[in-house]
Amino acid sequence: MRRLITFFALLCAFAAHAQSPALTDDVLGHLAKHPQVRAEFTQSRENPALAEPQLSHGDLIFVIGHGMVWHTRDPFEDTLVFTSGDTSRLNAQGKLERVRDGNRGVSQVSGMLQSLLAGKSDDAARQFTISADGTPEHWTLHFVPRQARVAKVLAGITLKGDAFLQSIEVNLASGERTLITFANTRDAGSLTPVESTVLGIP
Amino acid sequence: MKSLSTTQRAGLFAFASLVVCLLCAWLLFGRGTSPLQTDVLTLLPATERHPLAEDAVERLARASGDRMVLLVHHKDDDAAKDAARELGAALAADPVFASVIAELPPFDLDQLVTPFLPFRFHLLTPEDRAALTTSGFDPVDALKRRLNQPFGANVGAKLTDDPFGWMQHWLDRQPWNRSALVPEDDMLTAHRDDGSYVLVIATLKGSSYDDVVQRQALATLERAETAMVARHPGTALLRTGAIFYAASARAGAEHDTHVVGIASTVGIALLLLLVFRSLRPLLIAFVSTALGVIGAIATTVLVFGQLHLLTLVFGAALLGEAVDYSIQYLCARANAGADWHAERGVRQVRPALLLALATSLLGYSLLAVVPFPFLRQMAVFAIAGMAIACASVFWLLPALAQKPARAPLSPSLVRLALGWQRIASGRRALLGVAVLCVVAVPGWLRLGHDDDIHLLISPPKALEAQTATIREVAGFGGGSQFWLVEGANAEEVLQREEALTDRLQTWVADGKLGGWTGISAMLPSAHRQAANIAALEPLFTPRERMSEWLGQAGFRAEGSAGFVAAYPGRAFTIDDWLAMPAYTPFRYLWMSGGKHGVGSIVVPQGQDDADLLRTASDGLPGVSLVDKPASITALFGRYRGYADVWLGGALALVGLAFVWRYGLRSAWRVLLPPAAGIVLSVAALGYLGEPLTLFHVMALMLVLGVGANYAVFLREGEPHVAHLPGAAYAGVLLSAVTALLSFGLLALSTMPALRHFGLTLLLGIGFTALLAPVSVPAPKNRTA
Repeated sequence: MRRLITFFALLCAFAAHAQSPALTDDVLGHLAKHPQVRAEFTQSRENPALAEPQLSHGDLIFVIGHGMVWHTRDPFEDTLVFTSGDTSRLNAQGKLERVRDGNRGVSQVSGMLQSLLAGKSDDAARQFTISADGTPEHWTLHFVPRQARVAKVLAGITLKGDAFLQSIEVNLASGERTLITFANTRDAGSLTPVESTVLGIP
Repeated sequence: MKSLSTTQRAGLFAFASLVVCLLCAWLLFGRGTSPLQTDVLTLLPATERHPLAEDAVERLARASGDRMVLLVHHKDDDAAKDAARELGAALAADPVFASVIAELPPFDLDQLVTPFLPFRFHLLTPEDRAALTTSGFDPVDALKRRLNQPFGANVGAKLTDDPFGWMQHWLDRQPWNRSALVPEDDMLTAHRDDGSYVLVIATLKGSSYDDVVQRQALATLERAETAMVARHPGTALLRTGAIFYAASARAGAEHDTHVVGIASTVGIALLLLLVFRSLRPLLIAFVSTALGVIGAIATTVLVFGQLHLLTLVFGAALLGEAVDYSIQYLCARANAGADWHAERGVRQVRPALLLALATSLLGYSLLAVVPFPFLRQMAVFAIAGMAIACASVFWLLPALAQKPARAPLSPSLVRLALGWQRIASGRRALLGVAVLCVVAVPGWLRLGHDDDIHLLISPPKALEAQTATIREVAGFGGGSQFWLVEGANAEEVLQREEALTDRLQTWVADGKLGGWTGISAMLPSAHRQAANIAALEPLFTPRERMSEWLGQAGFRAEGSAGFVAAYPGRAFTIDDWLAMPAYTPFRYLWMSGGKHGVGSIVVPQGQDDADLLRTASDGLPGVSLVDKPASITALFGRYRGYADVWLGGALALVGLAFVWRYGLRSAWRVLLPPAAGIVLSVAALGYLGEPLTLFHVMALMLVLGVGANYAVFLREGEPHVAHLPGAAYAGVLLSAVTALLSFGLLALSTMPALRHFGLTLLLGIGFTALLAPVSVPAPKNRTA
């Protein structure tokens, strides 16, 4: 499952080797213009074992080269900080605690997204067949696993967006579906002292 | 023997020699497997108090034993993978490899999940157990948090099998999920800034130390590598594995044997030709020496069952000492001129030779006392070789040297010898020695010491660098430090290991340790599994409550029923662990069924400060840090300390022998050259900035043995050549130069221990030979 987690890590992959390289490159170029982004998120998870979708809301800040703060406000209060390769939780006392059992892939998501925006998109292309459609103003990227072993578990990932990323959809072969939608996405402006501290920005 | 004639005795000796030669040939070549040992590990002394610890050292060293671990690197990912695929195919085509893994066999991810289902409630991470036992644990909240993790977390076990994520947490800690390598295109790969690395593992059909296997496998690898690089320029191949270390050690030793053996043989031959100006003495000297060496090989193989290549290197150097006996005899022959009588010649040199042999054997037998296989083998080799070479002088050589010499010793050598003898004897010389000894004091004061294991094992830097890169990229390869956990039974061992690893876990959290590999991360003790169940028990009593919670968190009733019904499952046992294929690569961590009891190994990662590591096991029963390099270093240091005492003792013994032979008043003169030789060579080492090692001190013992010979040869030889001033000393010089030619060449050895040995002998024998004239009164009838 470790490798699967890694593939999740690639789910924000705006790769260069896509079928429509021009569009993909455009999308990538546009996204990279926003090195610090804030957004509200809504995550919905559907699983055949669950009676109804699980919904969570919160806000996030993403800073290229540093990481992401994922702040869930509802249905519980929780702040996770993803820096390259590490997941930490901001506890009630305002201190960072490393999360050992956190989903390592998630912390890699943020790292991968950063490396992608820095122009290193090969990793995603190795794992996925990427197809793009739409226009740079309104685009969709599809990621389908290239390897059969992975495809048995992961059906595909779809990203949608305009100037910013609007949604991420992860479909598992088991029928589980996770949809994250972003709203009110904007350039972050200045960071709060806490944000700077937890992301290690001097 | 007295009743036998010279020829009869020689005939018997020749017959015996022939038998020994045949025996030696059979031992070396006639038994299918070669007794030639190249594994350096077999030379290391047992350092651990417990045999289980030695077992453990062995296991760890062999964990990657008969495998080549290869990483193919290319900056382009596709090229790296294609190259690795081709390399794998090329290697697999050779039957010397039992198996080659480049492309992974098809397997189902489920195989790493499903087998754990029956045990899942017994296997909890420490964090989960702690969370479950803290008051205020809210199951519904825990479920909610898991279900709403960002990006989704439910990979691996099905959500209904593992709603809380306990099993996934557990599986995440298993070793295969901690590797830095990720399967891609069915190959294990790692990506770094400088490109892609692809893993290829080739398992040998046979031992890494088996000569035939080693050569064939390396040749095939080299061909495959060449072909791979030709097709994909820019590909680099990183390698590690015992086979490469063994091959480099073998190449080093073979190089040494050739250099020392050939160079000293040629050098000695030229020298003898020059001095005796005839071919016969040369042949005689070589027959005697060759018999010594052959006998030594046979004896060593008989005693140890094997012959280490390094012993052979040392043996090649021993030529120079074994040839001394025949040189003395041949000098006597050359000096006697037409008056030569072979048997009388033997009688003439016998006392000197026996005394010299006795002192040499004394020196070597002290080496044999050290419980150190390498030194022991050298000592046995030397003792047998010396004794046989000496015996051949008494019993074989007279028959070969019946006729008087055709030419006397080279006059220029004799003149040279006499010239120096005049300078280096008498009161003036004693004064000189005294001055030299004073000059030596600062050298002694500058002397440091070095007991590092690298004296014995010094693999090439390139190989070390590749091994380090592979360890870094792939996370493979254990160090030589580890904790040994012992106990009366499996359960006790596991519990004791947990006491250790719990402590290590806090170290990891504090950043004092990168991580550790141990069985307790895969198989908790029964006690701990019971604690896991105890932590879960309240949640499942009554079971209906758990079903309720799952429903509150959003699960359908039919989805959660299976999970609740599966509780508590069964405990994970050592047999289950052994039966699980995924754990096969880690079996070396567990020791049972051996004759030394039950135990386990815990290997630290990312920390090699032995003192710090040792504190982790402080106060834990049955747990100790085993640090083979440090143990060897400590052992070297300890023996270096003992060796000083032995050296003193040997000096005293040799002194006693001299007192017995020469009387109290003269003995000190005979002892002076070797003693001063030792003092001066130690000082020279100090001035050269060479730290003193065990091997220097061992070499000093030989300096004593060999150096005493020279004083004896001179002292005993002088009366017989009164008509030829300088001739006796010329013989000594000849012996010394042959010794320098052979032992001195050890200073060129690739192995630091032998290099130190050689350098010390070079200095010691040099000084002693130059100082030897003080052992006799100054030559009379001075002309100058």
